[in-house]
Amino acid sequence: MRNILLIFRRDYLGYVKAWGFWLSLAAVPMFMIIGAALAAFAAQSSPVRYFAVIEPGSVYAEAIEAEFREREIAEIERTSEIAEQLDLPVLSEVDVASVGEGGASPTDRKFVQVPPPADSIDGLRPYLLGQKLVSGPLGEKPLFAAFILTEDGGELEYWSDDVNVDQLRYLARNAMLDLARKDALSEAGLGEDFLERVDEAAFDVPARRIRTVEEQDTAGSEVTMADRAPMFVAGGLAYFLWLMVFSIIQYLLMGTIEERSNKIFDTLLTSVKLPELLAGKLLAVFAVTTTMMLSWGVFAFSGATIVSTQIPGVGNAIAPFIAALANPAIIVPGLISFILGYIMYGMIFMALGSLCDTIQEAQTLLSPMMILLMLPMFAIFIAFQDPGSPLIDIASWIPFFTPFLLILRMPHDPPLWEVLAQMGLMAGFALLILWLSTKVYRAGAVHGAGIGDMGGMLKRMIGVKGKAA
Amino acid sequence: MPASPLIMTAVTKRFGQFTAVDNLSLDVPEGQIIGFLGPNGAGKSTSLRMGLGIMEPDSGSVELFGRAPNVQSLRRVGFLPEERGLYKKMTARDTISHFARLKGLSASDARARADELLEATELGEFSRSRISKLSKGMAQKVQILSTLAHRPDFLILDEPFSGLDPVNQQALENLIRAEHDRGATILFSTHVMEHAERLCDRIVMMARGRKVLDGTLKEAFASLGQGARISVEHGFDLAAALSPKGFEAIRTADVGHGETWRIELPPGREAQDALRAALEAGAPITGFAPEEARLRDVFVSLVGEADAAALEASLAEDGVA
Repeated sequence: MRNILLIFRRDYLGYVKAWGFWLSLAAVPMFMIIGAALAAFAAQSSPVRYFAVIEPGSVYAEAIEAEFREREIAEIERTSEIAEQLDLPVLSEVDVASVGEGGASPTDRKFVQVPPPADSIDGLRPYLLGQKLVSGPLGEKPLFAAFILTEDGGELEYWSDDVNVDQLRYLARNAMLDLARKDALSEAGLGEDFLERVDEAAFDVPARRIRTVEEQDTAGSEVTMADRAPMFVAGGLAYFLWLMVFSIIQYLLMGTIEERSNKIFDTLLTSVKLPELLAGKLLAVFAVTTTMMLSWGVFAFSGATIVSTQIPGVGNAIAPFIAALANPAIIVPGLISFILGYIMYGMIFMALGSLCDTIQEAQTLLSPMMILLMLPMFAIFIAFQDPGSPLIDIASWIPFFTPFLLILRMPHDPPLWEVLAQMGLMAGFALLILWLSTKVYRAGAVHGAGIGDMGGMLKRMIGVKGKAA
Repeated sequence: MPASPLIMTAVTKRFGQFTAVDNLSLDVPEGQIIGFLGPNGAGKSTSLRMGLGIMEPDSGSVELFGRAPNVQSLRRVGFLPEERGLYKKMTARDTISHFARLKGLSASDARARADELLEATELGEFSRSRISKLSKGMAQKVQILSTLAHRPDFLILDEPFSGLDPVNQQALENLIRAEHDRGATILFSTHVMEHAERLCDRIVMMARGRKVLDGTLKEAFASLGQGARISVEHGFDLAAALSPKGFEAIRTADVGHGETWRIELPPGREAQDALRAALEAGAPITGFAPEEARLRDVFVSLVGEADAAALEASLAEDGVA
């Protein structure tokens, strides 16, 4: 054990003392902060643009204005719905009606309608080209766009110097569709709210979860986040394992290549047993990635804590996830799968690294490794979408996928015998991989086998033969 | 009676069709300095790696301090591999203390020992320098110190002089003597015979995976026919003069005003006997030199010209004349 810890300590310190580690550690929070700041800046700094509508009356201008209001109301309702699902009271209490009554300031919009400074395209030309400014709620600005009803009244032309910003044109197009529907309904003798009433008359289809009578008496039948949280937690754990495995490739490959190219193996192998060496190295890489993920987790947790102090109800929203994490039926098989999956993939990468003398050689191995790793990722995706899929049932018996898929199956209460059998399968396969990888590692480290010497290496594995020293 | 540090019995190692070590038996008694000699590819490194348990022999047995090599017996061993290598990003001090800790020293003892060794070898000022920042010679010194840090009972040095300049070769010889004086048993491989001549109590010569000689230096030289060189004035037939006295003489070269003859000494006769016989025969002697036998000559006499050429090639690879 002491030797394992010494190997672990050296490798761990070797990794964390490198600049690359600190850059990687800082990269995620830094990108999150920079990304959020850029998004906020982009939202705030996006210019408010003026537009005008030229028509004999104000039918089309009002239709466009109505479309703006409808969108704003729809946005608030959508946000409120999510807040209600998460039991966040904040936004659900917003008075939506105030928006409908014109309560939202037009200056909050990115497009503001202003009176047209001229009544023809020729008159508007200097304003649209930025040579002249128009007055509006935010002072004088160039005219960004103008809608002009054609003489025959058949089209509402959209004129602008910027053909890339199309949101306003699409919004107007929707406004025209609404207007056309209303006209059609009116001609048919139906009220403007006819379609809304039709929608409201439709039956709702609420989700109910079937439980035993006793459970239903206490928990009810309504589907809440508590019902969905286990799947999210299992999905998160499976993805975390995948991310962990994905991120250790470079560490295990490069670390082993360094030892092979620096000819350290003989010195090490006269001090520690090969399994101790492998265990120490695997633990070190596990600790490095855990350090990284924990640091990011602490960052995310701190952010969530700050948010929860600002927004009441966030604690309630997190509670179902914490409950799912504390559920032994999910977390015990999850942790076993996690550890065995990590050992399995870690040993494979380390064994392959021991066959490489240079980074160039290792790069030739990276492509097949990436393909090998993309397969579980696809399986995770399918399992998340349709956990009951027969494909997932079958795939979960393939040892390379089992660690990921067993985690994902746990929220769906698979038969106990299947869980135990798959755990046994994983353990057995992990031992097989451990044995094979140790053989490959010995062939690479002691006998000098390389990736271009796969045939000889296989011979060594079965016959323990090698190059002369 | 303590067990010999290393006993290899009838050890054979094959790599496919190639036999790297063939039926090697070797006993390294406590307290000796043993030279393991032979050209590159003779099987020296493979033998040492089997002795340390890095490689398993195909047949035969290995005992390190009385038992099969394991972590416990290996803790008493300091091994310097032929292919040197260290963690390039570690400092000299951390490197020495890391390997010392792997051999069982506590953290504080390992650090103190690293400091002591670095100071003693004038590397103190580089103690916190990364290995990648050190010169090749300095890095080699650090690796040698890593081998010695835990005060091993048995030092196995595989080509320790390889790559060192003459000054550092001399320093290493001194270090080996110091370790021997401390009580360590030392087995080192080399293809440079002069190091073995200066250092060893006993030598083991290898050629093509086989042991061709195992004995003291005296025994090694005894296996070689001794000779002497006598120069006489032109015209004197030394061969005819010495033949009745039991010496064979062969003219080898003209030198200035005379000729040089090589005298083959029969077993039990010395160079002085040949000189005395020549004087008694009235030879006009202008020069006399007893031939100084070298291990290289012993090797050549044992293995023949082909393996001798391999030895010369090994020396040429290392830039040793």
